[in-house]
Amino acid sequence: MSAPLLELQAVSHVYPDGSNGLNDCTLTLQRGRRYALLGPNGAGKTTVLQHLNGLLRPTTGTLHYDGQPFDYSRQGLTNLRTRVGLVFQNPDRQLFSALVEEDVSFGPLNLGLHEYEVRHRVTAALDAVGLGGHARRAVHQLSFGQKKRVCIAGVLAMEPDVLLLDEPMAGLDAPMQIELTALLDRLAERGVTVLLSTHDIDFALRWADDIHVMAAGRCIASGPAQQLAAQTDVLHAAGQRPPAALALHAELVALGVLPHGPAPRSVDALLDTLRALKHTGVTTA
Amino acid sequence: MLIESSAYASRWRDVAPSAKALFALTGLGAAWLARSPAAFAVLTAMLVLAALLGARVQLRSYIAVALPPLGFLLLSCLTMLVGPDSDGHWRITTAMLPTIEHTALRSTAMLAALLGLVLTTPMPDLLALLRKLRTPELLLDLMVLCYRMLFVMRQAWDESITAQTARLGYRNWRQAWRSTGLLAGQMAVQVWQRAAALQTAADARVYQGTLRFLPTAYPQAKRQLTTAALAGVVMLAIALGDRL
Repeated sequence: MSAPLLELQAVSHVYPDGSNGLNDCTLTLQRGRRYALLGPNGAGKTTVLQHLNGLLRPTTGTLHYDGQPFDYSRQGLTNLRTRVGLVFQNPDRQLFSALVEEDVSFGPLNLGLHEYEVRHRVTAALDAVGLGGHARRAVHQLSFGQKKRVCIAGVLAMEPDVLLLDEPMAGLDAPMQIELTALLDRLAERGVTVLLSTHDIDFALRWADDIHVMAAGRCIASGPAQQLAAQTDVLHAAGQRPPAALALHAELVALGVLPHGPAPRSVDALLDTLRALKHTGVTTA
Repeated sequence: MLIESSAYASRWRDVAPSAKALFALTGLGAAWLARSPAAFAVLTAMLVLAALLGARVQLRSYIAVALPPLGFLLLSCLTMLVGPDSDGHWRITTAMLPTIEHTALRSTAMLAALLGLVLTTPMPDLLALLRKLRTPELLLDLMVLCYRMLFVMRQAWDESITAQTARLGYRNWRQAWRSTGLLAGQMAVQVWQRAAALQTAADARVYQGTLRFLPTAYPQAKRQLTTAALAGVVMLAIALGDRL
């Protein structure tokens, strides 16, 4: 396997007020994969994301980028942030321009791109998040969901290799969550590495290739989504219940409704399996 | 807020700000040059009608925005009616009437020119125009941040007031004073936190020390500027014809 794209090695972070943000956290991101960073509130998910974008510096431990220890020089930070985009949880804390297109153009202009290229990227990014017709609207006139999408467009316009999203689903209604998931899928298909923080185990299992689990500032487990979601002790340590799809599947297997085998990754997939059984005329005891 | 919402709703919202600024500027110039009440009346009528019929600014909004400056103008004119006589006694005098008439008419025409611009051009477009006119970057950055923060802070303020009201924070005068005090203190912390958050967010997008934004493209700008210039020439001609 090639060198990881980004890696935190035994990173601890102590905030200026003395509180512990991270405690000996090790975490790896491979190129082109989809990651969920799972943990309860206050587990240190945002702190991890801010380390991966170079906004925070480890108190101890190192950040490795392209297999090399990261040097935190001005040029190094520019390179890192060009390739690793971070979308914040609260859009009002990220958006500071008056107009949508102005805000989306902020990042690409900082990269020193030509105006023509910036304009092209802004249009493409806004189209990607479904806000094509809103370029000239004032940011304060947008709904929460639209502001969130502007934030994502602002990072997409920089065309990063890695996209970090802090609780992207928080505050979004169900249709908007589906839209955002579709957008993330499209990005992943284009080869963008995506890491999003969440405390929704069902979503993490359904969407991610790999899950990193955090609790109390520690990175307690990492692994393929389906394997990790089955480890109830790890989930319990992170304050999580087992995913609904796995719990239901286990019960149905115990009842003899379903045969033994790998569990589906979502309740929808499980329902599809059950409907398929009904069509084949299988009866249960 | 009324000015801003009118500007966004105006039919001239997407007209090049440079054209609207040129029209307003020539309007100001013509009002400065004109002398007779008739010329002022014609200029004011042209400017007001351009905003109401051309840009479709709502009459109610127009009046609501114009009333405060007109009130100020009225107050200023009334004070000019009072002056000391030869004995040093203060009394109402008509000696200043011609000056008052001239000042009032000229100010009204100038106000109409200015309202025509601000009621059809949202603040971000005005800022973009100032950027084009090479206004110092630092000043513009401050204006951009103030403008955005104004809405962020207003929302935070409104939400906090609602939250306090829901817990009977404004039940009587004493509690209202206490709640307002607490809120003001809390807002100071919020301002600080939000400023820090914006700095972090800007750093995450490779902030290099200046806030750079994409200027808006106005494909019709040349045609609109020509129209504005022609209208401006007509207004200046009226004013100059009045002088000759």
